[in-house]
Amino acid sequence: MLGRYTHVYGLRLAVLAAALGLWQGLSAAGVIRSDEFPSMSQTAAALWGQASGSSLWGAVGETLEGWALGLLIGVAAALLIGTLIGMNGFAYRSVIGVIEFFKAIPVIAILPIGLVLWGATLTMKFALVAFAVFWPLVIQVCYGVRSLDPVAADTTTVLQVRGARKFLTVILPSAAPFIATGLRVAVAVALIVDIIAELIGGGTGVGERILVAENAGPSAYPVMYAYIVVAGILGVLLAGAFTVAERYALHWHESQRSAKTEGQNRDYPEREGLTLVVQLSPGGTTPGRAGSHARLAIRRPVPPLVVLVGRLEEPVLPAAVVDPEVAMDPVGDRPGSRRALLVP
Amino acid sequence: MKVGDLKPDAESGQEVTPVVSLRHVRKVYTSPVRSGGHGGPKVALQDITFDVARGEFACVVGPSGAGKTTLLRTLAGLAQPTSGEALFEGAPLRSVPPGIGVVFQDYGRSLYPWLTVARNVDLPLRVRRVPRAERAQRVAEVLGSVGLADAGRSYPWQLSGGMQQRVAIARSLAYRPDLLLMDEPFASVDAQTRFELEDLILRIRQEFGVTVVFVTHDIDEAVYLADRVVAISKSPGVVTEIVDITLGRPRDQITTKADQAFAHYREHLLGLVMNR
Amino acid sequence: MTGPARAELSSSLEHLLAGYAIASVVGIGIGALLWSLRYLRDATSPYLYFLYVLPAPVLVPAALTLFGIGFTMKVVLIAFAALWPTLLNTLDGMRGVDQVKLDTSRVLGVSPLGSVFRVVLPAAAPQIVAGLRNSLQVAIILMVVSEWEASTDGIGYYIVNAQQSFDYVGMWSGIIVLAIIGTVANLLFVIAENRVLHWHYGARAAEGTR
Repeated sequence: MLGRYTHVYGLRLAVLAAALGLWQGLSAAGVIRSDEFPSMSQTAAALWGQASGSSLWGAVGETLEGWALGLLIGVAAALLIGTLIGMNGFAYRSVIGVIEFFKAIPVIAILPIGLVLWGATLTMKFALVAFAVFWPLVIQVCYGVRSLDPVAADTTTVLQVRGARKFLTVILPSAAPFIATGLRVAVAVALIVDIIAELIGGGTGVGERILVAENAGPSAYPVMYAYIVVAGILGVLLAGAFTVAERYALHWHESQRSAKTEGQNRDYPEREGLTLVVQLSPGGTTPGRAGSHARLAIRRPVPPLVVLVGRLEEPVLPAAVVDPEVAMDPVGDRPGSRRALLVP
Repeated sequence: MKVGDLKPDAESGQEVTPVVSLRHVRKVYTSPVRSGGHGGPKVALQDITFDVARGEFACVVGPSGAGKTTLLRTLAGLAQPTSGEALFEGAPLRSVPPGIGVVFQDYGRSLYPWLTVARNVDLPLRVRRVPRAERAQRVAEVLGSVGLADAGRSYPWQLSGGMQQRVAIARSLAYRPDLLLMDEPFASVDAQTRFELEDLILRIRQEFGVTVVFVTHDIDEAVYLADRVVAISKSPGVVTEIVDITLGRPRDQITTKADQAFAHYREHLLGLVMNR
Repeated sequence: MTGPARAELSSSLEHLLAGYAIASVVGIGIGALLWSLRYLRDATSPYLYFLYVLPAPVLVPAALTLFGIGFTMKVVLIAFAALWPTLLNTLDGMRGVDQVKLDTSRVLGVSPLGSVFRVVLPAAAPQIVAGLRNSLQVAIILMVVSEWEASTDGIGYYIVNAQQSFDYVGMWSGIIVLAIIGTVANLLFVIAENRVLHWHYGARAAEGTR
C-alpha cells in the first residue's frame, strides 16, 4: 500500500515537472512572446530574487496583517452575535432576514465606502475583511447553535444539564462542525478580500506589489507573476493550516474520522502515548469510499495526540466543497457523514 | 390483576406509593403536513392508566405506531399529557425530575461524541456537584458494572454498538436514579449482543435496585425481562392488558425460554399485540 | 437616481453571463472527465486545489497584460476564476456517489456511460449546484474587479469613476445597484435550485422526520 502512496506522489511531481518544462519550452520556442508572458526560468529567478531580499516577506507580512486583524474582528463578532441570536428564537426570526440581505451583497460593493471612510490604509483593509467575513459566518454560527440533535437535546434535559454548562459542554461542541465550516470559508474569503483591497483600494501587500510590477512594464512581469505565485501559496498555506487545526480540534466528529461503519473501528482503546493515524488512501471524507488507514501505537508517556499525515490536497479541501445532504441530519450517524453544511 | 392495582408491600401489607402512576393519560399532537403527514390532530395515546411499583421491572409492548415512545417521553417528563395525570413518586411531572434516567434507542445520537466515555458518564455527576474523587470512583464503579472497566478513555464512536449502549446505561446509572426508562434500547443491536445486554440489565436491576420501565417491540424480550408486561394497542391507544410474569428469578436465556410457561405468555401477548 | 448606474449594467452583465456560462460548462465537463480518469485526477488534484485557493483578483493585472482592455479579458478572467468551485464540487460530488446506487444500475443493465448521466450526475447534483452557486458569487466579484482597473464601461468602472470624481451620489447608486444584483442573483439561484432539486429536498425531509 505504501507503494501506491509514493507512486501517486511521483506522478504528481512528474506532472509538475512536465508543466514547468512545457512552460519553459514554449517560451524558449517563442510561442509565448516574452514581452507578454515571462518564461518559467525568468519567473523562478524573480521569485528567488524577491524571496532572498526582504521585499517579499515584507509584502506577505503586510497582507497578513490585514488578513489577521480583519479575521479576528469578524470572527469574534460573528461568534458573539451569532450565539446570542441563535439561542433566542425570537431574535433569530426577527434578524435573520436582515442578515441574509447583507450577506448577499457582494463585498466588492462596499470597497468604495471603505475607501471614502479610511483611504488606502490598513484600517480600510481589515474593516473590509471583517465586514466580508462577518455575515456568512454569523449565519453559520446561528445555524450551528440551533442544530442540536433532538435526541442529544432530550438527553441533556434528562441529565439535568443546564445554563452555562449546557452551552459549553453540549451546544458549543455540537455547533462546532458548523462553525468550523464557516471559519474555513472565512479564512479563504478574508484573503481574497484583503488582496482585492490591496489591488484596488491601494493598501500595501502582495496585491499591491503585483499592481506595481504590472505598471512598471514588461521587464517587471516576472516579478508580477512571482507574486501571483506567492499569493497562491499563501492561500494554500493558510487554508492548510486551518484544516490541520480543524482536524485536531474536531477529531471526534465523523467528518474527520477516517473510520466508517461500526464494523471498522471498534475496540481501539486509547493507549498511553502517541497514536499515529496514517491515511494511506483517499476518501476519508467522502461517503461510500472507505479510506484505509493504519494505527500505530507508540508507548510513551506523552499526552494522546492524533496526528494525521494525509495527502497534500486533503488539508486544502476548499471551503465550498460541502455536502448539502447533511442538511437535515447535522450530527448524523450515517457512516461517512460529511462535515457540517455550509448554509447557502 | 386489574389494571391499576398496586401490589401491597410484602412486609407491612400496606399500599406503597408507586414510583410511576399514569391516570387516563391522553396525548394528542398535530402532525406537520410537510413531512408527508396529512396534517391535523393525531391521537398518540387515548387513555393510558397503569402504575409501576418500586423495584419492579415493567415492560411496555405494542404494535408499531402505538405511541410507545410518546408514552416513555411522558413518563420521563419530556412531554406533557394533553389530559390526564402523570405522577412520579406521587408528584405531577412538569419537567424531567432528577431521579429519572433514560436510555434512548439511538445511542449514537445520545452519547456525546466529543467527550470520552468517562466524561460522558461523569457529566451528570458534575451537574449534581459530586466532588471529584467521588465522581471518579462512581464512574469507575458503574463502568465496571456494565463490563466496560477499561473503556473510560475511549470515545464512544470507537466502540461497538453494544458497548456504546452499555455506556449509555452506565451514564444513566451513575447518579443512582429511582427510575430507569429504556426506549427500545436493544433494537439497534445484533441478536447475540442483545441477549448479553438483556442479562446485563437484569443484573443491574438486581445490583442497583432501580425500578425499570422498558419499552420494546420484541415480545420475547419483554417476557424474559419483566415482572409485568403492559400491552398497549394502537387505535385507540389504550392499555389492553397487564400481564404478570411469574417465571421466577434469576432468569436464564436458555432454560427460561425453554419453559412451557414462557411459550404460553409469549403466545398470549403476541396475540394481543397482533390483534388476534 | 440609479438611472445612469443601471445603464452601465448591461455590459457588465454580458461579461458575467458569458464568463459564468463558460465556467459552468467547462467546470462540470472537466470535473466529470477527471472523475472517470483516476490517474489524471490523482496526479493533478493538488494543482487544482492550488488554483482554487489562489485569490482570483491577483490575476487581473496579468490578464490586462495578456488581453488588454476589453471583452476578452473580462470574460476570460471571470470564466477562469469561476471555474474552480464548480469543477471541484463536481468532482467531489461524483466521487461521493453511493456505491449501492452504482451496483443497482449495473444490475439493471445500464451501460457505464448511461450510468454517468442517469445515476452519477443526478446523485451528485446537490453538490454540483452548491459549486455553481459559489461560482456565481466568485463571478460577480470578478465582474466588478475586472472593470475596476482599466475599463470603459460597466458597473465597476462606473463606481470607481464616481468615487474618484467625488460623485458620491453616483457612487452610492452604483453600490446599491450592485447590492441588488447580488441579492437578485442569489434569489434566482435559490428558486432554480428548489425546482431542480425538489426531489432531493423531499427525500431529505422524509428522512429527517423519524
